[in-house]
Amino acid sequence: METMSEPINPVSAAAPAPALKPAAPAAAMTRGDFLWAGWSMLAAFFAASAAAGARFLFPNVIYEPSQKFNAGPAAGYDLGVSTKWLNEQRVWIVRTPSGFYALWARCTHLGCTPNWWGDQNRFKCPCHGSNYTMEGDVIAGPAPKPLWRAKVDLAPTGDLIVDKSQLECIPGKRELPPYFVAHAA
Amino acid sequence: MPALDLDKIKKDVVDSQIWRSVFRGGLWKDTPRDRAAHIIGNVWLHLHPVKVRPRALRWSYSWGMGGLSFALYLLLTLTGVALMFYYRPTIGLAYRDIKDLEFAVTLGQFLRNMHRWAAQAMVVAVIAHMVRVFLTGAYKKPREFNWGVGVLLLTLTLFLSFTGYLLPWDQLAIWAVTVGTNMAGATPFLGNEGPFGGLLGMRINNDVRFTLLGGTMVGENTLLRFYVLHCVAVPLLVGILLILHFWRVRKDSFSAAPCQAGEEKVDVWPHLVKREYVAAAACTIVMLFWSILQNAPLEVIANPNVTTNPSKAPWYFVGLQELLVYFDPWIAGVLMPGLIIMGLMAIPYIDTNPKGIGFYAWKERPFANAQFILGVIMWFVLIAIGYYFRGPNYAWYWPWESWFDIKPAPPPTWSVFGPKPDAILPLLLGVPVVGAAFAAAMLLPKLIQRELGGKMLMGGFLGLVAAGAAAGMLAHKIAAAQGAFLLFFLGLSFYFGFVLPQRHIRALDWPRYLVTMFLVVSTISVPLKMCARLTFNIKYLLTIPSISMNI
Repeated sequence: METMSEPINPVSAAAPAPALKPAAPAAAMTRGDFLWAGWSMLAAFFAASAAAGARFLFPNVIYEPSQKFNAGPAAGYDLGVSTKWLNEQRVWIVRTPSGFYALWARCTHLGCTPNWWGDQNRFKCPCHGSNYTMEGDVIAGPAPKPLWRAKVDLAPTGDLIVDKSQLECIPGKRELPPYFVAHAA
Repeated sequence: MPALDLDKIKKDVVDSQIWRSVFRGGLWKDTPRDRAAHIIGNVWLHLHPVKVRPRALRWSYSWGMGGLSFALYLLLTLTGVALMFYYRPTIGLAYRDIKDLEFAVTLGQFLRNMHRWAAQAMVVAVIAHMVRVFLTGAYKKPREFNWGVGVLLLTLTLFLSFTGYLLPWDQLAIWAVTVGTNMAGATPFLGNEGPFGGLLGMRINNDVRFTLLGGTMVGENTLLRFYVLHCVAVPLLVGILLILHFWRVRKDSFSAAPCQAGEEKVDVWPHLVKREYVAAAACTIVMLFWSILQNAPLEVIANPNVTTNPSKAPWYFVGLQELLVYFDPWIAGVLMPGLIIMGLMAIPYIDTNPKGIGFYAWKERPFANAQFILGVIMWFVLIAIGYYFRGPNYAWYWPWESWFDIKPAPPPTWSVFGPKPDAILPLLLGVPVVGAAFAAAMLLPKLIQRELGGKMLMGGFLGLVAAGAAAGMLAHKIAAAQGAFLLFFLGLSFYFGFVLPQRHIRALDWPRYLVTMFLVVSTISVPLKMCARLTFNIKYLLTIPSISMNI
């Protein structure tokens, strides 16, 4: 330790008392060093306690529903936006002439659920007024990113399987599998 | 039958050993000594001084708002503890228990009403208390620290409200908390959606939002966490800060109101204590009648998948909600509230004006009063916009318009220094231009050492803007309404951001001057951005999406 090599207490160095006690060894801890170390340890203890307390607030096991669900037969969907699964799974299934994608109905601004307005071809968020196109792109309001698209698969049974734990919103990537299922109308 | 001798009964009771053991002191003779002893010898009253300056007692001076805030806090503790007997914080039971309180528990509805209304009244009282203390300059030396404690108490009052309205588990609850915690998720560095959050490895399941929610979505853990915060942790913290606040009020000579010539201090018992009791009683009576006449709102049970349209926060947070329309979540939800809190706490340390302590000093403190009142008015204008001018899809509806009218889709927005064609343009041109404008706004009032005539300056500036707007209108680039908006907002900003600082704080030392101007320029950039969005559909002045730098 660096402090150990510092000169010993000047009082004991200038006026040793050899008759009463042996001279302090060169590496003896001064009062200041002792207090410094003591206070440091106390501070370290409090810091560690605070860190432990903070860690305590992060649960190790959480009980949350599965993000994967069966959206039923693909053949059952008409062209356009389907709100069938909104209330249960918070997802819009969108069918285009070439296939399917699934939009996660969570506004990328602060997480409210927008509503689909078919007459204006827009999703509109009720919390801060963000507007999205059918593709999920922001056209008005404060949202910083397009709507997320969830992973979607076509099962051999002809059912659409949507997985909300895998998301993509970047144009160019989101139009490709696994975020899009080709399926001629 | 002997007559009932009330005086004798009273004397016997007061002289009994039991009474004497409970209440200290001898026979009450109402001497000044008795009055002093009553304050000093009573645990509940001893935080008061024995004597107080007469002006401190006047309602017109103190508004009684500090005391009322505390009275409401006590009322909220009482009603809150009562409600806890019937409320269980789980998703399956919370909403049912609130319904039971409303329909199946004797006085349940009344107590819930009282808890809700007293909470809203407390928010009003605490804000009014702060405004009064500011206007009377009562935060100045030696009360700087206690002003800071007060700002923390205001923040905690709002946080108590916020944690409270999750508990009924209705639609307001779940969506307010969803939005609130997503704002936390946008915190720079600490949130998974905040600027630089990725640098620290923040994900949806390890950031500050995750800690608040106890999960990745609003759920069972969230309800329990907010319940514990609301009923135990935050009230405890408020209690500790209240003790500190009261103790410093007492130590800093109770009131800033000075004695006038020839005036003498008066006894706190009964003059002040009487007023406190009357205020608390009046407040309780108002709360009682209000709670009998008006039921607390309760929306339908929480649905985590579908949001009410429109979804609005309680009135005191609607201003913040409106801010979030114009600014990114980390700016409106984290940076601005942080700046407001720290800016308020900094006020006593940047205001070096020694004049105007203990009275309404309109002439002595023109700059401080003007800027503070501008801030308060802006906050309430934002609240009014959010509350009265927003309808379905959070679109702009005038108060006389029906919410059943379908509004045309809002026009597309654009950014001045936008992301296209790539990030180089906003970086090379946008950052220097916006930075230089901000720096110029901050520095110019001090750098121009000669005091310019305010009226001529304002006239000249408004003339220039009007000429520019007229030219724009003639060229059919802008509409008349846009020109009028521009004139109003630019004029407002110029007056508060340049004319007033140039006249009043040129002589301030550089550190204080810079802090002051930073707060002033930040404040006026809010209405400027609102004007840009509402009249010109400008989404961002400058945007660098890769680091979420959107202004």
